[in-house]
Amino acid sequence: MRPFDYHEPATLAEALGLMQHHEEHARLMGGGTALMLLMSLGLVRPDHVIGLRRIPALHGISQRPDGSLELGALVTPAEAAGSPAVASYCPALQAAFGQVATVRIRNQATVGGSLAHADPAQDPAPMLLALDATVIAAGPRGERQIPLAGLFTGFFQTCLDEDEIVTSVVLPPPEQGAGAAYVKFLPRTRDDYATVGVAAWLQQDRDGRCAQARIALGSAGPVPLRAPRAERLLRGSRLEPEAISEAAAAVGEEVDPLDDARGSAGYKREMARVWTERALRLALDSATRTPPPAGAGERREHR
Amino acid sequence: MTGETAAGLPGVLAGSAPASNRGVTGRWFDEPEVRVEGLLKATGAARYAADIGMPGMLRADFLASPLPHARIRSLDVAAARQVPGVHAVLTGRDIGHVLFGRRLLDRPALAVDRVRFAGERVAAVAAESREAAAEAVERIEVEYEELPAILTPDDALAPGAAILHEQRDQYRYLGGQRPPVPHPNVQGRYVVTQGEADIERALAAADRVFEHVFTTPRQHQGYIEPRATLVWIDERDVVHVVTCNKSPFALRNQMAAALGLPPEQIDIDSGFIGGDFGGKGYAVEEYACYFLARRTGRPVQAVASYADELAAGNPRHQATVRLRTGVDSGGRFVAHDARVVFDGGAYASAKPLPHLALAGGASTLAAYRVPNARIEVMTVYTNTVPCGHMRSPGEVQALFAGESHIDMIAGELGFDRLEYRLRNAVRPGDTGLGGQRFREARAVPVLETLAEASGWTSWPRRPQVGRGISVGVRHVGGGKMSVQLRAGPGGRIEVLTGLPDQGGGAQTVIQRVAAATLSVAPARISVTRGTTGHAPADPGVGGSRVTHLASRATQAAADELRRLLEAIATEEFGGGRPLHLEHDRFVGDGVAVPFDEVTERIEAPGIDAVGTYDASAHGPGEPGDFDFAACLVEVSVDPATGQPTVRDAVIVADVGTIINPVAHRGQLAGGFVFGLGAALMEELRVEDGTVTSSTLGEMKLPTSADCPPLRIVHVPTRIGPGAFGAKMAGELVNALVAPAVANAVADAAGARVTSLPVTAEKIHHALQERG
Repeated sequence: MRPFDYHEPATLAEALGLMQHHEEHARLMGGGTALMLLMSLGLVRPDHVIGLRRIPALHGISQRPDGSLELGALVTPAEAAGSPAVASYCPALQAAFGQVATVRIRNQATVGGSLAHADPAQDPAPMLLALDATVIAAGPRGERQIPLAGLFTGFFQTCLDEDEIVTSVVLPPPEQGAGAAYVKFLPRTRDDYATVGVAAWLQQDRDGRCAQARIALGSAGPVPLRAPRAERLLRGSRLEPEAISEAAAAVGEEVDPLDDARGSAGYKREMARVWTERALRLALDSATRTPPPAGAGERREHR
Repeated sequence: MTGETAAGLPGVLAGSAPASNRGVTGRWFDEPEVRVEGLLKATGAARYAADIGMPGMLRADFLASPLPHARIRSLDVAAARQVPGVHAVLTGRDIGHVLFGRRLLDRPALAVDRVRFAGERVAAVAAESREAAAEAVERIEVEYEELPAILTPDDALAPGAAILHEQRDQYRYLGGQRPPVPHPNVQGRYVVTQGEADIERALAAADRVFEHVFTTPRQHQGYIEPRATLVWIDERDVVHVVTCNKSPFALRNQMAAALGLPPEQIDIDSGFIGGDFGGKGYAVEEYACYFLARRTGRPVQAVASYADELAAGNPRHQATVRLRTGVDSGGRFVAHDARVVFDGGAYASAKPLPHLALAGGASTLAAYRVPNARIEVMTVYTNTVPCGHMRSPGEVQALFAGESHIDMIAGELGFDRLEYRLRNAVRPGDTGLGGQRFREARAVPVLETLAEASGWTSWPRRPQVGRGISVGVRHVGGGKMSVQLRAGPGGRIEVLTGLPDQGGGAQTVIQRVAAATLSVAPARISVTRGTTGHAPADPGVGGSRVTHLASRATQAAADELRRLLEAIATEEFGGGRPLHLEHDRFVGDGVAVPFDEVTERIEAPGIDAVGTYDASAHGPGEPGDFDFAACLVEVSVDPATGQPTVRDAVIVADVGTIINPVAHRGQLAGGFVFGLGAALMEELRVEDGTVTSSTLGEMKLPTSADCPPLRIVHVPTRIGPGAFGAKMAGELVNALVAPAVANAVADAAGARVTSLPVTAEKIHHALQERG
């Protein structure tokens, strides 16, 4: 690895100043789990590495009064998986954080770093996409709110400017009658990247019809991606097994996976279908256990 | 006195064992061992080759060819030499045709005018820092003229194929004459025959003939310590080599041959070795570092990156195994024809055996009675990474094929698979397929034990769950080894050995066997590994030979030392009565003298006893020693994805007396996990001649979370060639796992996978085919 200068700014303003000063010679680092690998392979060779961990504003998990959930950019998957706020916001989100990579990575990686890195195979992105997350980024021209679905522009590429820093991820207030699930397919080892990862979020109306659906996949294309055609097929359906199968089949057509050591493109496409079906069934299970939207008659206690 | 082995078995007083076996009971080996080097490793005090630095030491780096086959049109190193901190930049032109290898010297230390695989070194740099060396490497300009690459053995042997080594007749071969090869692109070949000379005739006489083809991929050994070496030349012109190579005396001879130096002028120091699994017998960077050290007058260290390990190490050979087996009306084997073709890669350099092929390649039906057979084993040159040895070399490939083949035949004929193996298993008096005469042919008891331990006949069948078995046999390795023991004042016994310990526990074997033979506490005995300039000669680690040879050489030395010590005790304290060493005291007719009192009478530095053991003293016609083993796995298959999950496993092992019970278990359980990796996931992917698995994130190895519960059952034996009846354990079980997994998958889902690894995708594909 080439030598570099390491900076640890204490404030966001200081970090932004460093980025402006060093421009393309600098790289931001959250936990370093991705950056250090890229640097040791010589794929990225910054002269300056700006570590963000000392900036208090980038830490912490908070549930806002409207029910929305904000995760600081430097929150680790382990912190999120252990957070009561995350658990009460959405158990599937908690479970997804608990499934990120390995315990070493969960303790060290960061939510913001992972999204900015835009690795299409990493875990939290599909779940955050399915939960309709928004990324908050700070830059010299002020703060931007970027819907997560619009963040990823290509293979390891985002719409973030070089001098912008992801500061947090915000999840909208939870919906009544909704359920979510994240599954990933690990045919080799428990600590491997997924051959395919699928997050599903469904909302049922009081008649048991699908009011809204979001499906997002990892390792299924150049970016973590949504499956809009399948989502449309689900909306308005009664979420019977046939509808779920049909939507899952549509996902198989919507993904664009690569041939690699984790499977051929054709196999991954088929696995996207299989695991989407499994994720949708789990999401439906979870939705039927949560209270339906207001006005659905008898209201159960929120668990 | 009766012996009790660590496994709680009856006595192990083998007929061929020396006198000192008598009176020594297995309880010496019941205690879990304390590793000789354990504290150093556990505390991080052990210094590996890459940890060792010297004043003025330079760091080496190398430029590797990106192309699998090319002529080097031009090489411009001027800019590289200008990088601050760079002391030398060498190319093949600078050092000339320096060829190296373990047996055949066919690989250039640095390519001269031509590269034959992607990853081959074309230039070497020595600089003050790794960074400067890396920067210099980047500034080397090479112009290549790409040549058509031969990427498979089929292409290499096709009519009109280009010859990859035009100068092959000039290659040097260590130890005799290179056996003839049938084609210029063949590295080595041998044929094992049994019975009828015309195998086609024997097959024609069979009731039915089954033919199947199997393939296995390249794999990296997966050791965690990448290759590392430090070379310097002292004022007396002695070349010192610190290395993680596990066969220092052999390396000394290889370097002497390649560099044109007398062996005495080279001193090899193989210190701690951070994992081996067969791959650390081959040295690469040592040669170029010698020239860098020569040029700069400074010590030069090279530490491979893991990416370089994967791209240009000495991985397991890719293999294609075609089997044809004829059976009689009762399903008994009557004839077997096997063609085992290994992709040897660009150089045969990493292969140590005289035939330049893999001995295990002939193990297709090793544990069976086969009256007529012809097995052709071949390694072939291609423009891919040169391949070498990896745990049970050749056996992993051959046994996957053979044990899958048998299951397929049993299925076709409607036999129970275990029953079918028993029907054909070698029995006492039978000769093995390679002409092996087994001292004990134990395929039957091993299989019967497996049946009993696994509840083979009473197992409740469930949907999508299956069981698979495999059985194998492997030789206990031979060779010649010497060990020196020294007793001196202070009551210490020092062992000097040239044998490195790559993690298998060799030095602890030496300590415990010395303690048992002398009848002293193991803590008295320290083991020092010496360099090739100081220690007695040693064949190094590998070939399942270490426990056998080290225990016997140690036993011989300890017998001699015991005789010397007892003579001193008798002389000094006996008062006319003979004294014998027993439990740390010299005892005789009412006298007991503490060990230390006797050793106080020895003048410093002490008395020495050298033990030498030569296994080849056994005549070629004598029966040899073998381990038999069997494996069962239970696998469930997800029908929608093909994903196999290994849920349970049993190993039955015939290992003889166990000297290091903890390491022994580690070898068997570790061997199982090693085999599980080969079975399910490990594959060094090569695309267009270039290895594309660049990290262990891509070439995955199993983690503890991927391992099933494992039961290890021993089949007791009284016979082994090592001290106290020891055999071998390290290369016994890993080759059994892949066929057992493939057979279990076939049993669970009806999906037969004939190539390794047995991935979810391949199973899924087989399920689709089946419809």
